[in-house]
Amino acid sequence: MLTLFRELFAPPRHMILLIIAAWIGLLFAERRTERHGVEKAHINNILFYGILAFIVGGRVSFILQNISIFSKTPLSAFSINPDLFDSLGGIAAAFIFGLIHGQRKQLPFWNVLDALTPFFAILAIGLGLSHLAAGTAFGKETSLPWGINLWNAVRHPTQIYEALASTLTFILLWPKKHDSRPGLLFLTFAALTAASQLFIQAFRGDGTFILTNLRQGQVGSWGVLLLCFILFEIRYNQLEKQSPVE
Amino acid sequence: MYTPTMQKNQRIILYILTLIAGASWIILSGGKTGEAVDMSAPQAGFTAPDFALSTASGEKYTLSELRGQAVLVNLWATWCPPCRAEMPAIEKVYLEYKDQGFIVLAINMTYQDDPFNIVPFTEQYGLTFPILLEETGDVARAYQLNSLPSSYFINRNGVIDDVVIGGPMSEALLRARVERLLK
Repeated sequence: MLTLFRELFAPPRHMILLIIAAWIGLLFAERRTERHGVEKAHINNILFYGILAFIVGGRVSFILQNISIFSKTPLSAFSINPDLFDSLGGIAAAFIFGLIHGQRKQLPFWNVLDALTPFFAILAIGLGLSHLAAGTAFGKETSLPWGINLWNAVRHPTQIYEALASTLTFILLWPKKHDSRPGLLFLTFAALTAASQLFIQAFRGDGTFILTNLRQGQVGSWGVLLLCFILFEIRYNQLEKQSPVE
Repeated sequence: MYTPTMQKNQRIILYILTLIAGASWIILSGGKTGEAVDMSAPQAGFTAPDFALSTASGEKYTLSELRGQAVLVNLWATWCPPCRAEMPAIEKVYLEYKDQGFIVLAINMTYQDDPFNIVPFTEQYGLTFPILLEETGDVARAYQLNSLPSSYFINRNGVIDDVVIGGPMSEALLRARVERLLK
């Protein structure tokens, strides 16, 4: 089953999983967007142009980091190679675009993030599955019965842990009963995702280490968790001021 | 009306406890660098699977004997259009960086190719890097080959730095990856 899945979505076809996840995520986000006080058309526009900004921004960021190389072959800037890409630059470009677009259209920042949360949650599931298909983000060796055979060893299925944790996060956040105050849904998603990454990355067989033996990914997740807690308090204070407790 | 679900001080305690638990987990689960490097697998971070293959003229190359050099292992076939399309860029980049310790091992999948096409192909494109013949399928199996072309950028320590599946690779991509290997 796993072998069949990995053969079916072997790179570069693993990208299909991300595209499918983005599409399903958009469908889920559209269903709830009006509950957050944001029109469906705005969410569609933000996602469409945000994805474009991600693609263009990722390429531009890669070019800027390798400017001496591209000065020799400027036409390579338009190459169809997906590897000429900087993901962090792409994410930054999409975020900046979202901020500018939101301000121009006077969209409520936290409501938009809440409306986009189902999209992010489904995309996170797709990311775990695409890691599994590509064999990236692989686990340490293990003798546990659920270990998978990958890269010539039986390993922790960290990609499956990742997909399961993201699925669980989505299941927890999807029910309508949640607190609908703006920002809390997105912050809960971000905090749960950071916490699950902090836990799962301990089982990874790859990764970068800082200060001798600390995993950079775990330290980064801890930082995101801290930021989420700070933002939670800022939001609670703002909400209290808007509508104080009697 | 706004109704808080948890008192502020309860929330702060929860945050602090979660952050302490997270920090403890990071320290307790801390590992050491290079766990993957000791093993051989066709994935970034692992030692590149070793092989010994010959060119059509009988010149033998063993990957492990090229430690100290930056190596591009390119798996290809004459019938594969993107493989053909990226060869001029590979040749150009090879000529540009070979004096800095860069070598290309272009492994032809001879067991699923027409051996009579290989020499005319290399002459047509004026390829000067070694073209190795893979006649058994062992290297393809060791590299878990799924698509052609597949390229493995191997650093001076014999560890795979990056894998590019599919093509054609552009000159810019090749240069970016090779310059990273040579740093």
